[in-house]
Amino acid sequence: MSSVSLRSLEKLYPASGKNPPFHAVKGIDLEIHDGEFMVLVGPSGCGKSTTLRMIAGLEHISAGEIRIGDTVVNDLLPKDRGIAMVFQNYALYPHLTLFENMAFGLRLARTPKAEISRRVTEAARILGLEGILDRKPAALSGGQRQRVAVGRSIVRNPRVFLFDEPLSNLDAKMRVSMRSEISKLHARLKTTMIYVTHDQIEAMTMGDRICVMKDGRIMQVAAPLSLYHRPDNLYVAGFIGSPPMNLLRGRVERRDGTLLFIESAEADAVFIPLAGPLATLAASVEGRDVVFGIRPENISETPHPADSVRLTLPVELSEPMGSETNAYLKTGSGTLIARLHNEKRYAMGEPLAVHLNLGKAHLFDAATEQAIRP
Amino acid sequence: MKASTTRRLKLAAAHCFLIGFIALILFPFLMVVAISFRKGNFALGALIPTGDDFSLEHWKYVLGIPYEEIMGDGTVRTVQATTPVLVWFWNSLKVASTASALIILLSGTAAYAFARMQFFAKTTLLKSLLILQVFPMVLALVALYALLQLIGTYVPALGLNTHPGLMLTYLGGIAIYIWMIKGYFDTIPVSIEESAKIDGATHFQAFVRILLPMSAPIFAVVFILSFISLISEYPVASVVLQTEDRWTLAVGAQSFLYEQNFLWGKFAATAVLSGLPITAMFLFCQKFLISGLTSGGVKE
Ligand SMILES: Nc1ncnc2c1ncn2[C@@H]1O[C@H](COP(=O)(O)OP(=O)(O)OP(=O)(O)O)[C@@H](O)[C@H]1O
Ligand SMILES: [Mg+2]
Repeated sequence: MSSVSLRSLEKLYPASGKNPPFHAVKGIDLEIHDGEFMVLVGPSGCGKSTTLRMIAGLEHISAGEIRIGDTVVNDLLPKDRGIAMVFQNYALYPHLTLFENMAFGLRLARTPKAEISRRVTEAARILGLEGILDRKPAALSGGQRQRVAVGRSIVRNPRVFLFDEPLSNLDAKMRVSMRSEISKLHARLKTTMIYVTHDQIEAMTMGDRICVMKDGRIMQVAAPLSLYHRPDNLYVAGFIGSPPMNLLRGRVERRDGTLLFIESAEADAVFIPLAGPLATLAASVEGRDVVFGIRPENISETPHPADSVRLTLPVELSEPMGSETNAYLKTGSGTLIARLHNEKRYAMGEPLAVHLNLGKAHLFDAATEQAIRP
Repeated sequence: MKASTTRRLKLAAAHCFLIGFIALILFPFLMVVAISFRKGNFALGALIPTGDDFSLEHWKYVLGIPYEEIMGDGTVRTVQATTPVLVWFWNSLKVASTASALIILLSGTAAYAFARMQFFAKTTLLKSLLILQVFPMVLALVALYALLQLIGTYVPALGLNTHPGLMLTYLGGIAIYIWMIKGYFDTIPVSIEESAKIDGATHFQAFVRILLPMSAPIFAVVFILSFISLISEYPVASVVLQTEDRWTLAVGAQSFLYEQNFLWGKFAATAVLSGLPITAMFLFCQKFLISGLTSGGVKE
C-alpha cells in the first residue's frame, strides 16, 4: 500500500507524421492518499488515460514528478513500480488459459508453484471464476474477461491498482454488478486505487475523492458530495449531476434597494431577488456578469423554509418518471429544469409557479468561471 | 428450368472449371514424375511409363545406388553415379532451412521494431526497404560476388563457395517478410504487451512470451515461403557455389542439362527430390497455421 503523488505532471506528445505536437497533460498536482479510491473523471480526450499511463510507466513523463510511496518512479520500468493495471479492452493473453493469464506475472517473478496456485485459486474464488480456469479468453463473456483482468491484477498484491475505464465495454446490468464488486474489493484490500472513467455515476458511487479533469488540467479534487454541493467552477457544476445544474447567464444589479439577479435575454428575462447568504455574496459582484446556478432538485412547487424565491414560468416539456417529474421551464435565454416530486404531466405552455431554494444556489463569475465564495 | 436444375448446372460448371484448373497445375508435375521413371532421357512419352519403358535408373542414379545399363553393343555394365546428388540434397536442405530460420529471426525482430517502436525516419526506412527489394537480387550478382570475395579474405568461412556465405546473401532479401510480419504485429493490440510489462515482463519478455506465441501463424507462413524460394533459388547459388560438392540441388540439377545432351530423366528425378522437403516442411508448418490465435484478448 502506498500513496501516489503527482507534481507538476506534464505530457507533450511529440509531432508524428502529419500530427502536430499535442499537450495532453498540462501540469497536474495531485496527492492520492494511502488506501484511497481516487477517481479521475472528465470528458473524452481530457488526458485521463494519459495521466494513468504515466503513473503506470507506459508513457514517458514530459515534465514533473511521480512518486509512489517515497520513491520517485519517473524512470522506473512499469514492472518495478509495484502497480497493476486493468485496461478498458481487458488486454488478456489470448493464447493462455485463464489460470496462466492470472499466473503470468507470478511466474515472471519466479513465485513458487504452490504459492501461484494458491493465489490464483483465491482470486478466482473472489471473482467467481472457479471451474473455468482452463478456458482461454475467447471462450468467455465480456464480464468474465473483465474479471480475469481484475484477477490478474490482484494476484500480484500490487501497491497501487490502476483502472482505465474497466467497465465501459460491459452492458448496463453487468456494469452495475462489477461496480459494486470493485468497490467491495477496495473495501477488502484497502489498497490505493486510481480509477479512470467518464461515467459520473461510477465516479460518484465509487470514489473516496474525485478528480475532475478538462483539457489536461484539474478542475477540482474533492469528495463526491462536496463536489456535488460545492463545485469550484462552472465546468464542475455542469459536469457533475444528471440532469445537470441549471446555469443562467446574467448580471447582479441593485434596484430599489434589493439585489437582483437579472438574466441576460432579449425578452422575458428572469428576475431573481436575492436574499440571505447569497445576497451577501452577490453584493461583492454587484454590476458584474455572473452565472446563477441551481440544481433541478432545488426547484420545487412548495416553498422552502428559508430564502425561497417564487417564479412563474411556462412549461416547455415535462418528463414524468414515476417517482418524480422533470419539468423544463422556459426562461428568457434557455431552460430551467425542475425536479418535482409528483407524477403530473404538464401541458405545454402552462404557466407553473416554482420555488427556488436560494440556500442551495450558486454564483459564478462569468469571466473567470470560478465560483464566487465569501 | 427448375431452380434446382440451374443450380446443379452451375455447380457442374464450377467443378469443371476447377478440375481443369487443377489439371493445369498437376499435369506438368505429373509429366516430370513420369519422365523420372522413364527409360532414357526423353521428354515425351506416355504419362504412365509401363513395361519396357519403365525404369528406376534415374532414381537409382540420383540416390547413388549402382544399377546395370545395357550398352549399344549389347554388353551390360554397372553404372555408379558420378555426381553426388544426395550431397546436393543435403546442402539444399541445410542452406534453405538455416537461412529461413535466420530470416525469421532477423525479419521478426526488425518487424517488431517497425511495429512497436518510435525512431528517426521510421516510415522512410520502411518504404525504402520495399523499394530496394523491387530490384531482383540477380541484378546485384556482381556486387554479391565481389563482396563475398572481399569478406572471404578476412573470414574464409563466409567467403565464396561456402554455405554461410550463400546464406549471408539470402539474408539480404527479407524486406517483404519484414512487411508481412509487421502487418501481422500491427493487428495485435499493443495493450496486450503493455499489460505483460505491467505484469513484470521486460520489453524482451513481452516480445518472446506474449507476442511471439500469438504470431506463430505468420512465422510459419514466412518460413514456408522463404524455404520454397531458397530451395529453388538458382542464380545466386550458381555463382557463389563453385565446386560440385558444395552445390545445391537447384544448381546440380541444372548440370544435367548439357549443351548437347539434356539428361531429362536425371533432371526430373532431381526436381522431384527437391520437392520432397518442401512438402514435408509444408505439412510440418501447417499445424501452426491456425486462425483465431489472437482472438479473445481484447474487446474489439
Ligand atoms: N500517442 C499519442 N500521440 C498524440 N496524441 C495523443 C496520443 N495519445 C493520446 N493523445 C491525445 O491526448 C489527448 C488525451 O488522450 P487520453 O487518451 O488521455 O484521453 P482520455 O481522457 O483517456 O479520453 P477517453 O475518455 O476518450 O479515453 C487526446 O486528445 C488524444 O488525442
Ligand atoms: Mg482513455
